[in-house]
Amino acid sequence: MFFKYLIVFAQAHHEFRIPELQSVAKIHGFDISLPEGEIETDRPFMIVGLQSENHARQLAAIYEFYAQGSTYEEVHVQNRANQALWSRYKLNTSFKFFVTAFNHKLPQTQQRQVVESFSYTDFMGKIDMKNPDIVLGCFEEYVEKKGMIRDRHDDHGQFRQVYLGRWIEELGSARVLIKTFDVKKRNYFGNTSMESEVSLLMANQTLASPGKLIYDPFLGTETMAYPAAYFGAQVLGSDIDGRQMQGKGSDRAPDLILYNYTGHLLTFDITHNPWRCGGLFDAIVTDPPYGVRASAKRLGRKKDSVPKGWRCISNIEAILAHDSPYIPPTKPYELSNLAV
Amino acid sequence: MVRLITHNLLACHAKGCTSNNFPLAFSNVQIEIREAEFNPEFLKNFIPKVEWNALVDTARQLGDTSLPLEQPEMLDEEFLKSLHHVLLEIHVEEGVMTCPNCKHEYPISNGIPNMLLAEHEIG
Repeated sequence: MFFKYLIVFAQAHHEFRIPELQSVAKIHGFDISLPEGEIETDRPFMIVGLQSENHARQLAAIYEFYAQGSTYEEVHVQNRANQALWSRYKLNTSFKFFVTAFNHKLPQTQQRQVVESFSYTDFMGKIDMKNPDIVLGCFEEYVEKKGMIRDRHDDHGQFRQVYLGRWIEELGSARVLIKTFDVKKRNYFGNTSMESEVSLLMANQTLASPGKLIYDPFLGTETMAYPAAYFGAQVLGSDIDGRQMQGKGSDRAPDLILYNYTGHLLTFDITHNPWRCGGLFDAIVTDPPYGVRASAKRLGRKKDSVPKGWRCISNIEAILAHDSPYIPPTKPYELSNLAV
Repeated sequence: MVRLITHNLLACHAKGCTSNNFPLAFSNVQIEIREAEFNPEFLKNFIPKVEWNALVDTARQLGDTSLPLEQPEMLDEEFLKSLHHVLLEIHVEEGVMTCPNCKHEYPISNGIPNMLLAEHEIG
C-alpha cells in the first residue's frame, strides 16, 4: 500500500529529478509510485507514493502529504478530511509551522495569517522554533514571472497550488556532498573538470554502490570517478593522456585522502582499447570530450604532420629513433564517430 | 596501480594480434602491498567475470600462492580474503607487461600502465 508524500525539489537540474528518484529507490530497494500522466518536471513540488516512512527517510526534503489545493479553502477541506494523519500530534507534541512560497516572497503579516487560518487543527503542544518534535510546512507555488515588471504586492494569494505536509527527517542528505566534492576545493583539477552536483547525479544514475565495478573511458582529472568511488563502487578509468590522471608530484594526494579514493588508472586510446571480451563492467560513466577546450583525440598522425625527410609513416624505425621517449601522435576525432 | 583485477581484464590489442593475447606476462616488476577495504559483496559480484587460470598463474608469478588452482565452489571467508588480497592489494608499481603472442611490451610507470600503441601498430 502506498502512502502519499510531498517532495520539495532542489532548484537545479530539473531533468534529473525523476531519474534520480528512481535510481535512489532502486539502490535502496523500495518502490516509488510517481504521479500518473505527464509529469511537469520543472515544477518544484511533487506528490509521490511510498510504502513506508522509512523509505521516505532515504530521500531529502520530503513531507508526509496532508493536503493540496488551488485555494486555502480547498486545502482546509482536504486537511480536515485527512485528520487521521495528524490528530495524533494534537497533544503534547511541540511543533513549528512555517509558510513559504516558490517564485514569490511572502510578507510576515501574510505568513502569520496563513498560520492562524490553521487554528482549527487545535495543536495543544508548545510552539518551538528551534527543536520542535514535528515541523509542518505550507508551500505556495506561484507561476514564474521572470523578466516581468510588477508591483511588490501583486499576486498575493494568486498562487497556482498550495501544499501542506509534515517534514520527515532524512537519514542523511547527499546534498552536503555537493560541497565536499566542490571542484574549487580540490588541490588538483582541470579546466573541464565536471561540476560536483552533476557528477553526483550521474554517479547515482549508474547505481554506484559497494559491489559494482564502474568504468570511465575519458577519465581526465577523475571528476566522474570520485563520487562513484565515494558511493562504494570500484572504479576503473582510462584516458589517452596519462598526465592528467597522474598529476604533478603529489598534487593529487590530498584529494585522494579526502575522498578516500583508490581508482585503477590506465593509459590508452578508447578507440583502440585492450579490454578482453566478456561483460566486464556494471556501468560506464563518463564526461566525454567535446567542444574546444577538450577536443576528442585518437591515436594516429595527421597526414600533413609527417616531418620533412620522412617519406611516409611506414618508416617507423626512423620515427622511433627520432622521438625518444616515443610519444604516439594523436589526431582530432569526431565525437559523433564514437557515439553509437 | 596495476592491480591484478585490472590485469585480469587486459588483453593485447596491437594490430593483427587477436589470438593467444591474454594474459599479459609481467616482468621486471616492483610490487607494493597496500591494504584495501575488504568488501565480500564486490568479490562475489566479480568472481563470475574473472578468468580464473590467468589470475592464479599471474598471482603465482608474483609470488602469491594463496589461491587454489581450481576455482572453489564454496566461497568461505578465508578464500574471499585471499582473493581480496590478490585482486586488490597487490600493486605493480613499475615493470613491463608482455603479450604472449606478439611480444609487444606495455610499460608500467608510476603505477599507470601505458597501453598506447605506436602509430604503426593500430589497426
